Amino acid sequence: MPFAPVLHSEWLKIRTLRSLLGALLALFAATTAFSALAGVSETSDPESDPLFMALSGVAPGQIAAMCFGAMAVSSEFHGGGLRTSLAAVPRRGRWFAAKVTAIAVPTLVVGLVTAVAALVVARAGLGDAASGLSLAEQVRGVVGCGIYLTLMALLAAGLAALLRSGVGALSLLIPFVLIVSFVIGDVAGGATDFMPDRAGQIVLYESYDGPLGPWTGLAVTAAWAAAALAAGAWSVRHRDA
Amino acid sequence: MTSIEVQSLTKEFGTRRAVDDLTFRVLPGRVTGFLGPNGAGKSTTMRLVLGLDRPTSGTATIGGRPYTALAEPLRHVGALLDAQAAHGSRTGRDHLRTLAASNRIPGRRVDEVLEATGLASVARRRVRTYSLGMRQRLGIAAALLGDPPVVLLDEPSNGLDPEGIIWIRGLLRRLAGEGRTVLVSSHLMNETASFADHLVVLGRGRLLADTPMREFIHARVQPGVRIRTTDPTALKSALAPHGHDAVEHEDGHWTVRHARVDEIGSIVSAAGVPLLELAAEEATLEQAYLDLTSTETEFTAHPQEA
Repeated sequence: MPFAPVLHSEWLKIRTLRSLLGALLALFAATTAFSALAGVSETSDPESDPLFMALSGVAPGQIAAMCFGAMAVSSEFHGGGLRTSLAAVPRRGRWFAAKVTAIAVPTLVVGLVTAVAALVVARAGLGDAASGLSLAEQVRGVVGCGIYLTLMALLAAGLAALLRSGVGALSLLIPFVLIVSFVIGDVAGGATDFMPDRAGQIVLYESYDGPLGPWTGLAVTAAWAAAALAAGAWSVRHRDA
Repeated sequence: MTSIEVQSLTKEFGTRRAVDDLTFRVLPGRVTGFLGPNGAGKSTTMRLVLGLDRPTSGTATIGGRPYTALAEPLRHVGALLDAQAAHGSRTGRDHLRTLAASNRIPGRRVDEVLEATGLASVARRRVRTYSLGMRQRLGIAAALLGDPPVVLLDEPSNGLDPEGIIWIRGLLRRLAGEGRTVLVSSHLMNETASFADHLVVLGRGRLLADTPMREFIHARVQPGVRIRTTDPTALKSALAPHGHDAVEHEDGHWTVRHARVDEIGSIVSAAGVPLLELAAEEATLEQAYLDLTSTETEFTAHPQEA
């Protein structure tokens, strides 16, 4: 069966669930609001990276992105809903690919719009502190931010498909992002540079050091997301519905 | 002519055999009742036919092809598996639209099936506000979406009100009358008897019977004759020479077992027995089914005799 109608169906499923639209709205609102706050409050700190300050709303925003990815998949696991979906589209690989595309595209679009908005409002607050940012750095930050949020949504989507539970995926990922990054991250060093959130957020900094650059960092996050999606696809294709 | 063919189908969950070497065909133009106690493997068989579960061995095909090989399967097979399958936060109409889109079924068909299942007035309400009966109707609407030649319904009368039960009876008869293949599982005997032409009966995952419903009943339950009379002594003495005996019931009527009304009628009228009522006592599907499952229980309880 052709891909386009399946994708259309998956896009309709996302559009017709208020909670999913709400998660995308939360992604925009949380990221922009926290970036605006950071812009106002952190101007006094000369050590802070102005690009990351402007995009620091990603920290709460990525949780909304992960919720979106996980819930878009887990909405299929309510009361045998997956059976209805797979009876309509028995080509499971194609079905999952459509689902992933229908998650990725809106996340990327909302992520890019969010990043632009966050940068604009934060710069208004940062004033001179952000005046040293070049256009290239800002474009890199915005594009990187959109891609990063998309990859985190896909990581959550893959895990939700593997675990057949959105709550399961989120209860793994959210503590991971909150605790590993902020607590263990600074202590352990080294390997934590390659954690999906750490690596992917390098692109949000004006200056960076360590083994990974902005794009190689995103590539590491992409590898994590790809692994989660591959595991999720395996589960969808091989387990009884 | 699209039939469902199940060939040596077996499905094991761990060490438990849910479906055990099942072979049967479901033919078009009639309603096939799919009977068996809870846990007999009816739902599992339906999931295997739809390619949702993978068989341990054997095959299930629809019109000669496995379900998963069908392009736009909703146009070939409509299925109701679980009334809870629609997401509670979507409206009934949106639920059907998502299904229609994936199989390129035009949007007007969504409104048609909503109308046909009596859901048009609640189509824009969220599914979580639906009663069980309305969810059941939504599941049936989804099954009819692609105007499919094959329809599989798992316990469709669950939760329906009396009006809904009469409606589904008519719907099933109509679908079969249009030449479609209709397989309907149930554990309600009287309900199944009201719409089925043919029966496939499962017990513990195995095929117990695959016969026309009338034959199934008549092979297992002997007919009887119901009589009311003002003169029981005359009745008994008229029957005795012919080897029949009448048994009295609490409310005063008599029954003659293992007898046809044609025979008993002519005997008692020739003897001049005063009659208030004379009627054939129809055997029910329930009696036939219980007879079958009781022998099955004996069989499984004493495997050494097998």
